[in-house]
Amino acid sequence: MRSEVSKSRSISRRRLLATVGAGAVTAASPFRINLVKAEEANIKIGFPVPLTGPYGTEAQDQVRAAQLAVAQFNEAGGLNGRKAELVVRDDKLNPGEAATRTLELVEKEKVNFVVGSLSAAVQLAINNVTKERGIIFNSISQSDAINEAADFSRFTFHEALNPHMTSGAVGRYAFSKFGKRVAFLTADYAYGHEMVRGFLEVGKAFNIENLGDIRHPLGTTDFSTLLPRILALKPDILCISNFGRDQQIALRQATDFGIKKTTQIIAPLLSHASRVAAGPQAFEGVIGGCSFYWGIEDKFASTKAFNDAFRKMYDGKLPTDYGALGYGGVRTVLSAVKNAGSVDTDKVITALEALKYDYYKGPQYYRKCDHQSVQSVLVIRSKSKDQRNESDVFEVISTEEPDEAHLRSCAELGHKA
Amino acid sequence: MNEMSQSLLRTQAARVSWFDVATRHRVALATLAVLVFPLVMPFTALAVNILIYGLYALGFNLVYGYLGLLSFGHAALFGTGAYLCGMAIVHFGLPWYAAIAIGVVAGLAMAALIGVLAIRTRGIYFAMVTMALSQCVYYLFYQAVDWTGGENGLRGINVRSIDLFGMRLDFLDPMTRYYVIAAFVIAAFFILSRILASPFGAVIEAVRENATRARASGYDVTLTRLITFVLSGGFCGLAGALQALHLSIVPIEILHYDTSGIVVMIALLGGMGTFFGPMIGAAVFLLLENLVSLWTVHWQLIVGAIFVICVLFFPAGIWGTLTSRGKR
Repeated sequence: MRSEVSKSRSISRRRLLATVGAGAVTAASPFRINLVKAEEANIKIGFPVPLTGPYGTEAQDQVRAAQLAVAQFNEAGGLNGRKAELVVRDDKLNPGEAATRTLELVEKEKVNFVVGSLSAAVQLAINNVTKERGIIFNSISQSDAINEAADFSRFTFHEALNPHMTSGAVGRYAFSKFGKRVAFLTADYAYGHEMVRGFLEVGKAFNIENLGDIRHPLGTTDFSTLLPRILALKPDILCISNFGRDQQIALRQATDFGIKKTTQIIAPLLSHASRVAAGPQAFEGVIGGCSFYWGIEDKFASTKAFNDAFRKMYDGKLPTDYGALGYGGVRTVLSAVKNAGSVDTDKVITALEALKYDYYKGPQYYRKCDHQSVQSVLVIRSKSKDQRNESDVFEVISTEEPDEAHLRSCAELGHKA
Repeated sequence: MNEMSQSLLRTQAARVSWFDVATRHRVALATLAVLVFPLVMPFTALAVNILIYGLYALGFNLVYGYLGLLSFGHAALFGTGAYLCGMAIVHFGLPWYAAIAIGVVAGLAMAALIGVLAIRTRGIYFAMVTMALSQCVYYLFYQAVDWTGGENGLRGINVRSIDLFGMRLDFLDPMTRYYVIAAFVIAAFFILSRILASPFGAVIEAVRENATRARASGYDVTLTRLITFVLSGGFCGLAGALQALHLSIVPIEILHYDTSGIVVMIALLGGMGTFFGPMIGAAVFLLLENLVSLWTVHWQLIVGAIFVICVLFFPAGIWGTLTSRGKR
């Protein structure tokens, strides 16, 4: 008993000596400054995304990819040794909750920047809070409104595509190939309306004939009353503008009704996660747009590098479209910090505006007037055979290169020249 | 005689429990709690949300707890207050105090409209009719995109400073924002306390306990119900207006029936028909949601389980259970 006690005491004494020794070595070594600095002030990036709710899968992928961007920044030495840190919050896909969480991030966590969001309304809510407080916000989900002068501020950046660019690219591709008679099946809310508006605008150049826009409420589970009406219209192209579960169900039932035999189905946005969830049959042959697909790694070294780093960090998993946005949104901000050599808001804004980058999908830059990222739009087709792996679900059939001509003009958005 | 009554008073005074004291000085006590509240909260924006939802539940409780009518349409009153306050600032550039006043009036007016249409129904029918009408309000605001921003919500309710008697307060400062909003909430506490303590307050409870007897005693039951509902609308409208100022946006979700449901949960959790219940319910509910969702994405499961436990074992709610212990 006694020997045990003395034994344990001797170990603790040894440990004490070791600790003191290590401490002394650290204190004397050049690492000391880095350690102390890192503890003093991390560069904090607030990251509000809807971890709970219907887009949870996509949001978790955004977090993973954003974490990768932060890890890479830190491995490369940070900002003169100052490390970055991601502060993730669940916005629950609710603008009110998002505004509250953003207030928390800014007021309590004292974040330097905010990146995130996965809904039009949520990003506008976050944007309103951050722009009032002079915090840079880089949005990574689609919205047309965020480019417009009323919502824009010089603190606002938009890394994601917007509906105008997406529907434009898909429309230009489809209307030149599959015919002029177009019918629409649209989810009756802002996302659907903005997409249809984009398609119709592009359609003018191709003289398309609008056979009718059939609208359905969000969360529809039975399209069997709407699909015969669409069949009766005999369209060349059926344009389905909805998202998530609605898209999965609409496509499955459209397939069952045999619409694909006579009609090409297009969708403005094909989500990787939805396609994986719904399986190959429903999506087979459907054409749509997206901002990123891992398969372009044959074309761009940056995509290859991003995919490899993601695979390495997450057991061979491949990043999805929304994941890539999380990576891009965080990486651009951190690169700008590095270029500016500071976290000072004005300097980082200048650095972001000057950035010409190729981090994951080919060349991109932020347009001066609305800070919209000018970038390529991929037109993809869902495939059902010859899959190389479980993420191999699309093939890229066309790429619309980055071009400001495909964006609404600055004057149109209400920005003064 | 005089001596006897005095000694009687003294023995009563000796028996006065903490509960009686709390009830007598309920406004002072609530004020004190509200003042120190943000210091114990994880972050100030959450403390403000709790105040606002507490006030919203307070207004709801007037109808549910004191009048005994279950409304499933209170989101319409809360949301109308928020939207009208926001629109006054965004579209008309009115000062903040005018916008708050407009929010309160909007809440009163919307309650009067819904009240006139719904108040004759009872029980489940009242819940259904108020819910249906609040859905009408939802779609009205949803479709008026030019005014409300529709799906995207109303943005740009930007109040940077509060000018008061020559003082300029920085409304972007979290603590200042908290205390400005707390001042309105405390005023609402006071007004509600006076309403409940007035003869009219007694009539409200009389109608809840026995409408037939109240009518036999010469009170106009329908009118009492309508007035109470309208008053409740005023409190909810104020809560909505403060919410709009706090978050600087009004999301369309504020009019969703979820918002009507949350307030029922808050009132049940805190204790229906009690003065402090709604505030405590709001604090517990929002705090739980906040803390558990930081920890796991399955927060709804845990919050739901806690709610079920509360309903099963504390049907009178948290404050209701505490007060019944206090009375014993």
